[in-house]
Amino acid sequence: MSHSRVVGAVEIGTSKIAVLLGEIVSDAGLNIIGHSACSSKGIKKGVIMDLDVASDCVHAAIMTAEKAAHTRIDEVYLAQTGGHLKGNFNIGVTNVSSEEGIVRGVDVERVKDEAKRRNLPDSRTYIHHIQNPFRIDGKPVDNPISRECERLEVGYWSVHGDSGIVSDCLRVISGIDLEVSDMIISSIASGAVLLEEAEKDAGALVIDIGGGTSDFVFYRKGYIVRTGLVPVGGDHITNDLSIGLRVGRKSAEEFKVKHGRAYYETGDRDEKVWLYGDLTIGDRNYPLSAITKIIEARVSEIFEIIKDQLEMEGLFQRTDIASGIVLTGGSSRLPGIDEAAHRVFGLDARVGEGPANVAPELCRPEYSTCLGLLHYALTGQEDTEEAAKPAGILRRLTGLLNFD
Amino acid sequence: MINIKIIGIGGAGTNAVDGLKLDDLGDVRLAAVNTDAQALANSPIAEKLVIGRSVTRGLGTGGEVDIGKAAAEADRDEIARLISDMDFILLVVGLGGGTGSAAATVVAEVAAKTDALVLAFVTLPFSFEGARRKRIAEESLGGLRKLVHGLVPLPNDVLLQEGEEDTSVLNAFAVADRWIGRGVNSLCAMLLKTGLVNQDFGSLRSVFQHCGGKTLFGTGFASGGDYVKDALDDLFLCPLLHMGDRPSQLDRILVNVIGGADLGIAQVNAIMSAVSKRFGSREDIVFGAVIDESRSSSLEICILAKAELDAPVSASSLKASQPQVIEREIVAPGEGFGFETEIALDDKPPRPVHQSKLSRKKQPTVDQDEFTFIDLDAQRGYFDKTDRNLHKDEDLDIPTYLRKGIKIKIKV
Repeated sequence: MSHSRVVGAVEIGTSKIAVLLGEIVSDAGLNIIGHSACSSKGIKKGVIMDLDVASDCVHAAIMTAEKAAHTRIDEVYLAQTGGHLKGNFNIGVTNVSSEEGIVRGVDVERVKDEAKRRNLPDSRTYIHHIQNPFRIDGKPVDNPISRECERLEVGYWSVHGDSGIVSDCLRVISGIDLEVSDMIISSIASGAVLLEEAEKDAGALVIDIGGGTSDFVFYRKGYIVRTGLVPVGGDHITNDLSIGLRVGRKSAEEFKVKHGRAYYETGDRDEKVWLYGDLTIGDRNYPLSAITKIIEARVSEIFEIIKDQLEMEGLFQRTDIASGIVLTGGSSRLPGIDEAAHRVFGLDARVGEGPANVAPELCRPEYSTCLGLLHYALTGQEDTEEAAKPAGILRRLTGLLNFD
Repeated sequence: MINIKIIGIGGAGTNAVDGLKLDDLGDVRLAAVNTDAQALANSPIAEKLVIGRSVTRGLGTGGEVDIGKAAAEADRDEIARLISDMDFILLVVGLGGGTGSAAATVVAEVAAKTDALVLAFVTLPFSFEGARRKRIAEESLGGLRKLVHGLVPLPNDVLLQEGEEDTSVLNAFAVADRWIGRGVNSLCAMLLKTGLVNQDFGSLRSVFQHCGGKTLFGTGFASGGDYVKDALDDLFLCPLLHMGDRPSQLDRILVNVIGGADLGIAQVNAIMSAVSKRFGSREDIVFGAVIDESRSSSLEICILAKAELDAPVSASSLKASQPQVIEREIVAPGEGFGFETEIALDDKPPRPVHQSKLSRKKQPTVDQDEFTFIDLDAQRGYFDKTDRNLHKDEDLDIPTYLRKGIKIKIKV
């Protein structure tokens, strides 16, 4: 019996709501059958400030995508971001129980439970437990079953968020009679589609610079060892320009899009750019350097904070990031952003490209998170039983859906 | 005759008052209040008050707010005597230190008990001065705001932008003093000099009726050439009018211009219409023009505006929250910031496939002419109401270039 289900991948972003409709046929193939983007309101720095206004936008985006695809969504995969997200690295340790010292399934289950046991205060909710390599007597292995050792360890990078904020997001979706099947943090979703397996193995840092937040995921030896975010994004660049150039947000946004560059060059001082550029009265010109200096200060700061976060935990080893920096998100369209990243990290940096088998209009950085959500809607399904691949470990959020 | 007293409080406040060059405004009295007797002795100001001798023995506070507070409390009576019988009191304070941050609150408390109109110019510390001074300044600012009729915050980070490319920090303090000087001078000139368009103390009072709320302040200056246009340009580019926490709705606006003998009524009208076009309707603007015989072809414009708290917001301004569906281009939402008008969003929502429960509930109320009251603080800046974005004691929502002291030259 062949059956299909329609998955809606929804990203409630600070500057836009993106929706992709994917049809999953017989749990094997995925067709993207609809998409929409709707400008956001009521959302700042990745967090819903006004539930009603934000809901209207999300619902409009979902309805538009459904209309385009002439079908209804069965379930929603939702991206999550915002400064409320935090993570802990927890390690579970156990002694192998069998006489011969051979690791069995029960040992693995026990050590995993041990690592995930840490309770959170009521105000916090786990979103992901991301498994890192097992260690048998201190030596890292992917699969410890049937190996001989005394001590079995496993580490988990556990991401948790503010329960209120998370339930707000779920409420937006339930407000249109849909259910969230899974919630995935934006950085992990983007990373999944922008990196090849070989790149994940070599180590890569994916940075998704959106409107209100910059989310990152760090792959080392094929595992997600850290995720994090800086609650700063394209909105901040616009705001900085608005304050620095003394213009409204609309003009600041135009300056950013038309003349913006992520780094400053000495020649910018002599180049003039016009506010309107149409010879109208009240038009004004600015040195390009004003724009590029303001943007450079902001963009390099975002990268520096991310680098600091990794350095503080001793994770920033250039040899572990052989595939370099991969940038995505709406703000990655800013010219020179790769160069700005290169200057801060001292690593190769590039703007990520969507997978080759996807229509070009969906390969734009704005859709990378949603593509990642669909990827998980497809592969998460395959992995439910075995849960061995690090990519497939996503906790179901059934418990969360009863917040109302 | 109006009794005006300008009081510098603490080291920075006293310095600023020291440096005031008032244009022939004989009747304005200057005073200084400090814990540091030595520093005060060096000041040319006529009326000086050392507070808290019993607490600090005439030495400073060493940056301790508690000591500053004890010092001011100890001499409350002296302070009351200093400000008695005044119509208009201008406080000048640098926040972040021990004396200014604490004593300003006490002086304002005492002043609030009199009938005087009280305005305060306060400078806020540079980001690089550290989180402690910043916290002290913010706490003091919050308390002070409620006690005075108008409070003009002058962040040093922003003022540094006004200096030349190589402005040192010391010069930046001088820049702050110059700004305060312009504001004070303009206010006093308006009250004391006769002009083309006279404004009296009553109109100043009408702008600053209540304590609390937010005050907006900006100045523009130009001389020679097309000085009217240049001064307006300078005013519109004044960084203080473009800070993140600019209130979007101003209740009353006071505009004063000081020009030379060559300033005619036609030019005054031109200035007035340009300013009202930019800042609000003519009915909201109190406009004054003063002639200073010693100047020629130069113009100084000063704007002071007040936004009261709990300003009613019309339902129509909230209506623009209908979502706009777009196919390809991502359009940033027009925010109520700056002087740009919002983008009109009149696209009808698409025919629903899934029906949104929330919009069904809400739709009817949107069109009704209900009074919606929004706390004015809710409209401050773009990142208002969001959690503060602290990283290593810096608020990341504040532009990076301002926090790092990177100069941005915007005039070609």
